[in-house]
Amino acid sequence: MASDADFQPARRLHGWSWLFGLSVGIKQMVLPLIALIFFGTRDNDPGPFGPYLVPTILVALLIRALWQQFTYRYGFGPHGLVIREGLIFRNVRQIEYARIENIDTERGVLHRMLGVAEVRVQTSTGGKPEALISVLDLEAVQEMRAKVFADSKPGEPVVAATSETTLLHLTTSELVRYGLIDNRGMIVVAAGVGLLHESGLLNFDKEWFDSVLQSSSAAGLVALGLMMQIALGAAVLVAGLLAVRILSVVLALVTFHDFKLTRQNGDLRARYGLFTRIALTLRTRRIQAVHQTESLLHRWFERVTLNVDLAGDSGGSDQPDANKSRARWLAPVCTASAAPVLIAAALPSIDLNDPPDWQPLAPQARGRIFRRSAVLAVLLLTGPAIWYLHEGAIVVVLACIPLAWMHAHLYTKHTRWALAPDAVMFRSGWLTRRLTIVPRDRVQTLSIDASPFDRRSRMANIYVDTAGGGAMRAGIRIRYLAADVAESLASALYRTAGV
Amino acid sequence: MQLTQVDPAIIRVWRWHGTFTALILTVLSGGFSLPIPALWPFPPLFVAIAGLTLAWVWPPIAYRHLRFGVDDTGIAIESGVLWRSRVALPRVRIQHTDVSQGPLERRYNIGTLKLYTAGSRHVRIELPGLNHDEALALRDALLAEGRGSGV
Repeated sequence: MASDADFQPARRLHGWSWLFGLSVGIKQMVLPLIALIFFGTRDNDPGPFGPYLVPTILVALLIRALWQQFTYRYGFGPHGLVIREGLIFRNVRQIEYARIENIDTERGVLHRMLGVAEVRVQTSTGGKPEALISVLDLEAVQEMRAKVFADSKPGEPVVAATSETTLLHLTTSELVRYGLIDNRGMIVVAAGVGLLHESGLLNFDKEWFDSVLQSSSAAGLVALGLMMQIALGAAVLVAGLLAVRILSVVLALVTFHDFKLTRQNGDLRARYGLFTRIALTLRTRRIQAVHQTESLLHRWFERVTLNVDLAGDSGGSDQPDANKSRARWLAPVCTASAAPVLIAAALPSIDLNDPPDWQPLAPQARGRIFRRSAVLAVLLLTGPAIWYLHEGAIVVVLACIPLAWMHAHLYTKHTRWALAPDAVMFRSGWLTRRLTIVPRDRVQTLSIDASPFDRRSRMANIYVDTAGGGAMRAGIRIRYLAADVAESLASALYRTAGV
Repeated sequence: MQLTQVDPAIIRVWRWHGTFTALILTVLSGGFSLPIPALWPFPPLFVAIAGLTLAWVWPPIAYRHLRFGVDDTGIAIESGVLWRSRVALPRVRIQHTDVSQGPLERRYNIGTLKLYTAGSRHVRIELPGLNHDEALALRDALLAEGRGSGV
């Protein structure tokens, strides 16, 4: 490693880097500055430094950004990417080529105007990117990709630009469908209301209600009569729902504009975005699992959504830097018939031609799910139902029972698992149906657990853990399996894991 | 896979742990006890008796259900009395390992083997109650052949 120690990185950032350093600095300072301006001028006396405060901070930020730009160096050392930051407090980071998993770029409007990109170098460590290089021009990014990925696979010939085949390209009409399926608009509206409420601009208190009720438009509303009021209420509701859906469509069009999934040298690349253009590399040997989601709305449009878990992404949910561990889309939306092709492209080592041998849950599973959901529903609903409906509560509580039976029946009918020679698959749910495929050589650990209830009916639950998914959605968890079936599935997977 | 039990000295460690916990809970329940002079001693007394009984009775039961086995592929650990679980970890998936010892464990010369994986939920798998030397030997045995990328 002596040659590494002597290696001096020589490549510099792009000439406009200070601009982005400055804008990041300003973004970090905006909240403290606003607070300062608000609280600092309470007594209408800006103080002796008042007028100079903001310019001083801006100049300081500019100097810092310029300093960072001129002292930042990167280079391609004999064994890894070398990044040197700072001159007085010097930090030299070395990232081995073989450890680098993804080189992702993100380009906002300003980046695109100047022809540059923000580059994230990720290893399998997970969480934050190993290096954030802001900013490089596109040729430098291309050079970095070529150098890093050529060196990481020794022995393979350097094929810089083999033909790139497009696997999926989302047209505007597809994105409209996605917007209609997706509920993102609702989330944005909820977040907006929450923000306005927090900031005190929106305050639903008694005064607000009184002022609304005593306004002339309220008086006019009273004069309309009951039927008109109901019709008006319904119209407002429909308009609101429509507006949220339109917002979802607009968001989908902006976020996933020109979504393109391509394959080059066996690895997949996704590019999307109208204003902020994102380019992600999905290296197929890092893909740990493929998830297919199909909600009721998906089925109406005959579409599915495909995600992948990538090694190195785990733990993202614990990080405050959550937007950096964005969902790894294989396809935000695609036709149900195109899904198998895309899954095969993401998991090239798996033979998906033979239909999997789907196995049901344990025979007693339906009865247990029924009893469980019925008891849960009755326990939760009885109190509120008696409180609000008095005698009518009996109807609500009794209605739980057929509904619980329906849920148990449909759930067990649609939930199946399959063990293929090279993968384990699980599909579950009846309203929102999910399919997860985990290659057997990606299995991390296997665990079987059984509660006292499970043991009474000779059942067990199995959990197949994989890397890269975050604690909530990773791997496969199958509940209500017969104990001996769970046991043999676990031992079969254990023998082949990591082989 | 042949499953074996850990060092029985762990029972004594768990009994000490249980005793300390019971004493702390007794003091706390004494602090928040009924404000009636005649009834005041009963809640802490109850907590003390129940806690100390549990601290004495539970460890041997938990010990009976804690078993582990090692084979060519990896290690399996079985635990839990009411909620039973069994985790199987192939040795190629071990990222790194720890052998840790608390003051009580040091007194009885036992250690806890901690195995870390790149997984999402079972990131750390613990096997308590191994003889300290045995824990070190097991760690070395697991690491010896487990040279892989781990993902």
